[in-house]
Amino acid sequence: MRRSHLLATAAGLALACAPLAAHAQFAPAGSGGEPSSSVPGPGNANEPTEASPKEQGYFSGPSPYAPQAPGVNAANLPDIESIDPSQIPAMAPQQSANPAREDWVAYGRDDNQTRYSPLSEITPENAGKLKVAFTYHTGSYPRPGQVNKWAAETTPIKVGDGLYMCSAMNDIMKLDPATGKEIWRRNVDVKYHSIPYTAACKGVTYFTSSVVPEGQPCHNRLIEGTLDMRLIAVDAETGDFCPNFGHNGQVNLMQGLGESVPGFVSMTAPPPIINGVAVVNHEVLDGQRRWAPSGVIRGYDAESGKFVWAWDVNNPTDHSQPTGNRHYSRGTPNSWAALTGDNALGLVYVPTGNSAADYYSALRSDNENRVSSAVVAIDVKTGEEKWVFQTAHKDVWDYDIGSQATLMDMPGPDGQQVPALIMPTKRGQTFVLDRRTGKPILPVEERPAPSPGVIPGDPRTPTQPWSVGMPALRVPDLKETDMWGMSPIDQLYCRIKFRRANYVGEFTPPSIDKPWIEYPGYNGGSDWGSMSYDPQSGILIANWNITPMYDQLVDRKKADKLGLMPIDDPNFKPGGGGAEGNGAMDGTPYGIVVTPFWDQYTGMMCNRPPYGMITAIDMKHGQKVLWQHPLGTARANGPWGLPTGLPWEIGTPNNGGSVVTAGGLVFIAAATDNQIRAIDEHTGKVVWSAVLPGGGQANPMTYEANGHQYVAIMAGGHHFMMTPVSDQLVVYALPDAVKQ
Amino acid sequence: MPNIQGNRTLTEWLTLLLGVVILLVGLFFLIAGADLAMLGGSTYYALCGIILIASGVFMLMGRTLGAFLYLGALAYTWVWSLWEVGFSPVDLLPRAFGPTILGILVALTIPVLRRMESRRTLRGAV
Repeated sequence: MRRSHLLATAAGLALACAPLAAHAQFAPAGSGGEPSSSVPGPGNANEPTEASPKEQGYFSGPSPYAPQAPGVNAANLPDIESIDPSQIPAMAPQQSANPAREDWVAYGRDDNQTRYSPLSEITPENAGKLKVAFTYHTGSYPRPGQVNKWAAETTPIKVGDGLYMCSAMNDIMKLDPATGKEIWRRNVDVKYHSIPYTAACKGVTYFTSSVVPEGQPCHNRLIEGTLDMRLIAVDAETGDFCPNFGHNGQVNLMQGLGESVPGFVSMTAPPPIINGVAVVNHEVLDGQRRWAPSGVIRGYDAESGKFVWAWDVNNPTDHSQPTGNRHYSRGTPNSWAALTGDNALGLVYVPTGNSAADYYSALRSDNENRVSSAVVAIDVKTGEEKWVFQTAHKDVWDYDIGSQATLMDMPGPDGQQVPALIMPTKRGQTFVLDRRTGKPILPVEERPAPSPGVIPGDPRTPTQPWSVGMPALRVPDLKETDMWGMSPIDQLYCRIKFRRANYVGEFTPPSIDKPWIEYPGYNGGSDWGSMSYDPQSGILIANWNITPMYDQLVDRKKADKLGLMPIDDPNFKPGGGGAEGNGAMDGTPYGIVVTPFWDQYTGMMCNRPPYGMITAIDMKHGQKVLWQHPLGTARANGPWGLPTGLPWEIGTPNNGGSVVTAGGLVFIAAATDNQIRAIDEHTGKVVWSAVLPGGGQANPMTYEANGHQYVAIMAGGHHFMMTPVSDQLVVYALPDAVKQ
Repeated sequence: MPNIQGNRTLTEWLTLLLGVVILLVGLFFLIAGADLAMLGGSTYYALCGIILIASGVFMLMGRTLGAFLYLGALAYTWVWSLWEVGFSPVDLLPRAFGPTILGILVALTIPVLRRMESRRTLRGAV
């Protein structure tokens, strides 16, 4: 009964879409430039040349050929030279390839980024006794007068006698892993105006030089990418800049990116080092303009900091640095997730986002359409693309991949082990690929998707990929009866909101006449917390979101009225807060308004809970769900942002990942209840939880020092998740360790 | 001795206040519910809104019928909720929890409404 009603609605919407296509408005041109009579077809548009007239819009970003604004090259560094790949010295064996039992050497602990630790002192039996061993204050939080854009998202690494981490604003610290005492601190002076959407520093990379002898400064070094686009190398012993890296330890990553302003382009993830090459990706602020700075991926020599190669989507054969007035191709898909390296195959696996102006695709090139929202394997010596696997075709839903790929071995069809890669996505589709070829190991089906949509000249693709061999980390498409609230009053409001929007399930095409519902939303499914994988038990741990979005395209006139303008417009006023992606999309006919699918009066989501889940998948026995339950209690959430204090495990939105240990535990914070918890890996039972001083939107890690196991979580909070910001790293241990 | 002077007691004022609340909820249900029904959504709210408006009006008139109409709307709400989502507590929360709390208050007003009614009868008899 209900189902037939729904089908009728879907059919009605589909029918309604047909006439809409004819009536949808073209964007009127603004005060500047000639009106466009039509929208160029797909792949039909090129980046403007230096002589192109400025297009549309009352507000409009400067020409891509304008010089970079002051402060974009934050440290006023000279250009960096290039080095031929053949000149790169052979890489010394890295600790991240095979970490010592007690260490956590890379962002995801090891080169495979498993987030699995062989430590076993803490078990489901004794986890209930965990106590705070120490806290450490990074000193980075919003000062009076600064809009809160903080979400540190930091995961420390632990190598030998040091716990190394960065603050949300990129200062680098070495702490004593047993006491939290600061051994050194390297301030790098990132300015507030360089914060893009979020002040985050996910971590630093540990690298052992094969050129600098042991005992010399910078034999062991930390490499970090900063919010203001510097690649920094400091000595692990002292924190001093490495004199032989770049220009006294720093490289300007804005070189070759062309026109930009501070805060437009930023690095937030630690660059992996593969066969001596540090691979650098960066986020480009969403929704600003079609011809935003390039999403180019680059390789730098981890010894000298010199440029090795670039992978520039619209210049696929040119791997060199642009010179003179040239710049990397603009508006190309950027990648902001943590990258995963593969020394054996000499590849880096790049999870990509989509092209600039996320919600309008008619101006994208064929190459962009080929590599956006995909995993791209790039040769780390040459910058050549080896394979591409796309997870959403012609993405206009901000389904950029936030997760880091995890490497593992999977049994192949004839029984031998296949080197595999697990790629979680915001769609909740988890793809398992052969990392030699990019071909799916578990079946992927191309299924019909709503197309062509209603935006003139911008048809959606007829099919989208579904990973049918893995459990989907999503709930069924929304229906009116899924609307929720405290009372029938707000439920009724949400039901109307639901019915007023275009919605035909996943991949509902963007619309301008009314809002459309996007589920899965851009917070996932899986986001940057990624997954943890226990190679011993074969259990894969995934936390994910059920947070639909409510979006609408607006024509240029309306966008101007709403004051949507690109960040590099001279009239741009920094705001902060709100959902990411609200933007001018300057250079396209439309702007975009992005909101959570919520009751804006109560601040509660419109759909029924849960809003966040955690799932264990048995990868060794047919990818079955071992256990699954809501993640996060209602204690710190409620209507009008008031905490209810209820211990009810409602399942909250979550950001940040998990750790799995040989002790049989999963450690995870992530949820907006500001708690960290230990979960029995095999049963899903929560065996311990503790309240953090701020939101736990970060990946925890675990290590051993002085013979005891510690669990560390950055309780940095998250501005968009509306959790309290703090500058505290909180480290837990069993009472024996705490007594010492 | 019934109060025939026409001075309202506190419980009577509270009863009238409840009547106002039910009337306002009923108006919202009818107006927004008609919008929802027109958009192809559930007709429950519009129909329930009509009953609630009648309930509120009768309660403001000091008629016991108002309370019974509310209890009727509550019964309708429960039947509809169970039909829509079954015995799922999470889903019953927005549909039936608030109306049931209100229903308890309404039940408490029945003696008050009866008193108001009998006073009116007495007054009419004088």
